[in-house]
This record gives sequence, C-alpha cells and structure tokens, in this order.
Amino acid sequence: MRRVVVTGLGVVSPFGLGAKAYWEGVRSGTCAIRPVTLIETEGFRCRIAAEVPDPVPGSLRRSRADRFALAAAREAIDDAGLDATERRRTALVVGAVGGGMLEAEAWYWQAKRSGVPLRATPELRSILPYSHADVVGSRLGLGGPRETLVTACSSGAVSLAVAADLVADGVAPVAVAGGTDALTRICFMGFNALRLLDPEPCRPFDAARRGMSIGEGAGFVVLEDAAHAGARGARIYAELAGSGMTTDAFHVTSPQPDGEGMARAMVAALARGRVRPKAVGYVNAHGTATLQNDRIEARALRSVFGAAGVLVSSTKSMIGHTMAAAGSLEAIATILALVHETVPPTANLATTDAEVAFDCVPGVAREASVECAISNSFGFGGQNVTLLFRRP
Amino acid sequence: MEPKEVLDELRTIFVTRLRFEPHRVSDVTLDTPLPKGVDGSVGLDSLDFIELSLAIEDRFGLVMDDAQDLAPHFTSFRTLCAFIAERATRT
Amino acid sequence: MTTGVVITGVGAVTARFTGGAAAVSAFLAEPSPVHGAIADAQLTSLLGDGDARRLSRVCQFAVAAGRLALDDARFSADDEVGLVLGTEFGDLRSTVEFADGYLTSGPSGLSALIFPNTVMNTMAAATTIATGARALSLTLNAPTVAGELAIARGAAAIASGRARAVLAGGVDQIDPFLGSMLTDLGAGEERRGEGAVVLVLERASSARERGARVLGEILGAASGALAVRPHGVGRSTRSSVVAGALAAARMETGDLGAVYTSTNGDRHRDEWERRLLDAALGDGHHPRSALRELLGAHAGAGALGVVAAASAARVSGRPSLVHGVGRGGSEVALIIGR
Repeated sequence: MRRVVVTGLGVVSPFGLGAKAYWEGVRSGTCAIRPVTLIETEGFRCRIAAEVPDPVPGSLRRSRADRFALAAAREAIDDAGLDATERRRTALVVGAVGGGMLEAEAWYWQAKRSGVPLRATPELRSILPYSHADVVGSRLGLGGPRETLVTACSSGAVSLAVAADLVADGVAPVAVAGGTDALTRICFMGFNALRLLDPEPCRPFDAARRGMSIGEGAGFVVLEDAAHAGARGARIYAELAGSGMTTDAFHVTSPQPDGEGMARAMVAALARGRVRPKAVGYVNAHGTATLQNDRIEARALRSVFGAAGVLVSSTKSMIGHTMAAAGSLEAIATILALVHETVPPTANLATTDAEVAFDCVPGVAREASVECAISNSFGFGGQNVTLLFRRP
Repeated sequence: MEPKEVLDELRTIFVTRLRFEPHRVSDVTLDTPLPKGVDGSVGLDSLDFIELSLAIEDRFGLVMDDAQDLAPHFTSFRTLCAFIAERATRT
Repeated sequence: MTTGVVITGVGAVTARFTGGAAAVSAFLAEPSPVHGAIADAQLTSLLGDGDARRLSRVCQFAVAAGRLALDDARFSADDEVGLVLGTEFGDLRSTVEFADGYLTSGPSGLSALIFPNTVMNTMAAATTIATGARALSLTLNAPTVAGELAIARGAAAIASGRARAVLAGGVDQIDPFLGSMLTDLGAGEERRGEGAVVLVLERASSARERGARVLGEILGAASGALAVRPHGVGRSTRSSVVAGALAAARMETGDLGAVYTSTNGDRHRDEWERRLLDAALGDGHHPRSALRELLGAHAGAGALGVVAAASAARVSGRPSLVHGVGRGGSEVALIIGR
C-alpha cells in the first residue's frame, strides 16, 4: 500500500472563492450564516443559511453545484501543478447529494405553478449527481477512474477515502477528490419539516443548541502517491494517513444512540493509519448542532480518546452544513489546521454542554502544534466516515 | 370534537401520511398503543411521530410546542385523541 | 484491480423472475424479454407488511434483492460486511412526490417520511438497516455502468481489507419522468427496465473456510474516463480499460471466452461500445451478449451481467469479460472467472 499525500487544495465556500479566503474565514471564527436569498422561505421556521456570495464563477448554462465543483477542482489541480499528461491518468471521485436540483426545481416550480405541461428541458441535463464528475472530468481532462458517490452528509469525506484507496492500491498515481452542493429547496424545506434546523445560526456543542444551519459550496483536494509527489517536487500539505468507513444500519435519520458506528469509523481510521489515539491532537467534528448528533458524537469521541483527550471544534458553526461538500471542506480545514499549527474555533459557542467532555475551542482559534488530526462526517442513514491526516 | 371523531380522522392520516394499509388501521381502537416496541402497537418510530405531528397540525389547526415534552400524549390513540380534541381549532 | 474475491450469492428482483442463483440460472437457460414494471404483489410477498410501509418502491427492490442474496449465499451480514449499490436514477419518484406535496399545500404538505428518499443513498440506507451490513456502505451514480462499477468497487473494498464481504449490485426503477429526460440527454432510444440485482462478493478465504458455494471469481477490474463531453458519445476508440482489467487478472485477450456488453438500444452509444471492443479485443472471435436487450437498461441489469459472465465461464472454462461504457465517458471492464 502506497502512502497518500495531499498536494493541492481548492475551495468555493460561504467565505468566497479560494482556499485562502476559506482559511481566513474559518480561522477568524466568522459566522457566514445569513438570511437566505437564493430560494423562497416564507412559512418556514428557519430562514437562514450560509450561501456562497456572488460572483460565482462559470457559465450560467451550468448548474450552480457544477460551477462550484469546477472552480474548486480547477484551483486544486492548478495548486498541485498537474499538467495535461498527468491529468490523463488522474482519477476523479466526487461526493454529491443535490446535483443540479436547484435549477431543476426552478423549472419544475415554474411549470407546475403556470400549469404549462412539462417538456424536456436543458435544466434537467445536470440534475443527477454524476453530472459534477462528468463536467469536471471532461473540462479538466481527467482520464483515470471516475466515480460519483452519494452517502448523504458524508459524501465529501467518502470521496476522499475512496480516492485515497485508488492511490494507495496503485490504481492511479494521482486522484482529485471532493464534494459539491448548492442550496436546494428540497433540502432546505426537508430539514425544516424534520424540525432539525435552528432559526438562528447553529451552535454546535452548546448547551442551548437547537439544530443545524444549512450551507453550500465545494471543496476539492489532490491526493497523490507520496513517492510520485516527491519525484516531481510537489508541495505536500499533509499525509492522508488512514480512513474509516462504517454503517450504523440503525435508522434512516437518527444516529445510533450509543455512537458505536461513529466510534468504529474513528478506530478504523486510526488502525489503518497505525496511529494511537494519543497522537491525535485535534478532531474536526461532524458537529451539526442537533441535540442528538453532538451528544452522540461526544460520547463516541470519549470512548475513543477519553475525556478531554483531544481538542474538538465544528466548522459547521461558521459555514453551516454544506451537505455533500461538508466532508471535503472540513477535511481541508483540518489539513490547514495542521499546516498553520492553528486549531479553528467553534463559533457561537457560549456554554459547552455538560455532556460534552471536551474543550471545543469556543470563539477564538487556538495555536497548537498537532501531529495528527481527524475529520468526522456522519451521514443520514448512518454512513460514517473518519479521515486521518498527519503532518508530512 | 369528540375523541371518536378524531380517531376516524387519524385513521385517514395513518393511511394517507403514514402509509398504513387500510385494513391495518380499521383494526385499531382507542386503546391501541402507538410507539414501536410496545406489545400490540402500530409500531411508530421517531420519523413517524414527526410526520404525524405535521399532519395533526395541518388537519386540526393546532400548533405543537417543541419545547414541551409531548411524548405522553402520543402513547396511545386514546391519549392522542384527547390531546387533539382539547386543542383543535379546525374541525 | 482486485484479487481473491469470489461471488457466493445473488439476489434478483425483476418483472419476470425473482430469487437467487437458481432463478437467475433458469432465466439464463431460457432467456426471454422482460418488459414493464414489477408488480406490487410481487414485492409484498418478498417484504413483511411492516417493512414495506416505510420503504419507497425502489427501496423495496433493493431490500428484497439484498435479503435474497444473503439467503442465497447462506450468509448473514455484520460489522465486516459492506454494501455498494449502483444506480442511474435513484429515487426520483420520491423527489417529485416530496416537491408536489409542497407545491400543492405549502409547508404543511411536506412529508417527513418521504424526505430521506430525496437523497440517492436511500436504497443503500434501507438495505443496510434491513440486512445489518455495518462495514462501509456506498451508493455509486453513473450513466449505464453504475452496477458494474459498484461490483468493481465492492471487490476492491474487500481486497484492501475494508470488509470480509460486500453486497454489491445495482437498482433502478422505471419512471415516467425519465422518458423526457433521456430524450433530452440524447439517449431517448434507450429501452429502460427496472429491478435490483445484488451479488454477495466475499473474500476467497472466507468462502473457503465456511464451505460456501462459489458462483464465480472477480479476477480483475479496471475503469477509466474517455474524453467526451457530458452525455456525449465519443469517436475515439483509444482506451486502456480492457487492457487494464486483463493485466490485473494476469490474462490476455486470447484467454477470454464470452463477452458481455452494455448494449441498451441507444444506437450511437451502442455503436461506440462496439467499436471500443473491436479495438480492444482485436481479431479474436468472442461471442458478445447483452442482458439489457432482454431486461431493459437499469443498474441491476449491469450487475446481472457479472453473474451471467460467471456462469458462462463455468461452462466454457474460459474467463468472461464484462464491459460497459456510459455517455459522458465512464468505462469499466471486469474479468470474471469460475
């Protein structure tokens, strides 16, 4: 099995375009959750989200989520300095959930309300999740294995785990991996209906938390065989030392109360990376701020690391839950935490819930030289993914 | 509204919103328990209860206060019908 | 690239036949076209009343096929068993139903029960809950090749130690919505079918230890992306995917017996695949079959191709090639032995 390293980063986030803007926002503890502008929200309890600000690059002929993916993937590939020859062998693994649903919804809403019969239309071209991979892959000349994975809220993370396997197994020397999602009516309304959204910006790990906030964006990384990266003198951000993927097999929307599936994912990541819990200095939590997730995740963390055994923070406090992009955007925050020796904070955290036995880095980033860090993503349907990163 | 009238409305909701087969709900009585894991219950889980709450709010014009613990009202058809009959603004 | 992975069971739910390896064998022995939709009555007989209530139709296909596969393999799922499901269209029907609820009645028309089905992993979530598979679970979305890719991914997961066994296959349902969508994507001639086919892939050592009946072996696999615009059909036949699969299996084109393709009625795509295979296989005569011509195009048909390929390999003593390519360029090849 080959060592897998990260050699490029690309981001489109509620803080704007680029990995730099993203890190600056996240590090400063700024909350980017604001009143929604993209869709109608009358009649809903929660009317806020973390939207990507204008201008969004790319042709309006493409779906919003495709444009996010293309911009972020392009930045990552340019960052890694991959030329056309390399790209022809480069694999692409994309995490997706909503696909081009935002545009398809606009068309459907309009058609239904006007009573005009439905006809085939260009907006449906990009509706399916695989659209992002085909757009990014064809536009950027990526000819290696291509897969689109849908695992709900952990899609972005699972794309990195599977891409890393492709590289570790010697199937491809380089892989581009990441997730993308645009705000959609269906997602926003659905979480409202499930009563999982906080009408105010979410407060992960806070004793008074009341639910999630939704966000949008895209995060892509370039993963590479360490020897291959070394040979071409690529800049190495971090090593993706291991990953764990498990399933609760419990319930379609509720996580398993004892957090066993979450803990198994973390333990598997550590085992595959041959890293002991003590070596992990930081956990970028799934941290959605629902009553259930945070309590159960804290319990799982405790079983793996012991109480107060590690710093924990939730990026969702600032960018909301970016759905398919969450796992990869948060992985990037984790990687940059290692690079900059700074743990990003949990925003909106006034009083940590007594059941959460960890320092959740309230409000202000913490300087910390950390050897290893993990990023957790626990999707609806109990699809758990943990990514383990190590300083190069 | 009388609890028995509410029960009939709930039977309809169980079919249209909770996807129960009609023969299954025609069998229920006021004493039938609701939550999964209780002997003889209709086996509702957390997601069912959310759906049921939404449907009840819509049909009967009442508002469920998330801050309150409403679980005791959802133990059986009897408790639920009483809860609704007391608060319904739309009959 | 895979080694040491065998097929120890299959579960199939189609409009014509439903069952395990025996039902599949009977179909392959006397193949005939399978048209139309799966009858509701067929599904209720496979699922308990209580289960069926909460499962959308396409989730019912997947759960039924998953259970049939485990029964067929005489195997139960646990922490070491994963799931990889391929799908081309997922549960679009539920997405439309959810949206219609809102468009008809506003926020009070939203259904909490339907909402989870608007994310494409819903079939996988339902199947892991129903079977207790708790290792990794993935849903893979691709045009045409989703089932084949899922099997390749599942085999790779076992080979890299992530699971002892994986339920791998494909599921799709027919949808009135799809007709116009496919036309718009240029694939309007594709003949759609519906169903679910799930294989039990297992580490060879595990199968041996428990004396499992082995249906076939995944000798090698490879995938790649040809340079073509999204939804497009290419002209070039330059591809290293078949060669890659053969190399992984340590075989050559001359070793191959039967070839299973992803022919589905979309003439331009079918023609492109024919030319790709001509270029990859050279002059050797390899009989080509296409199950989608009988079953209709859906991710389950792709998975069934792997089972048919294993069966053919048993009969002829030569490994089979399973090949697929989708509009937009995703290409996959699997070498299946007995």
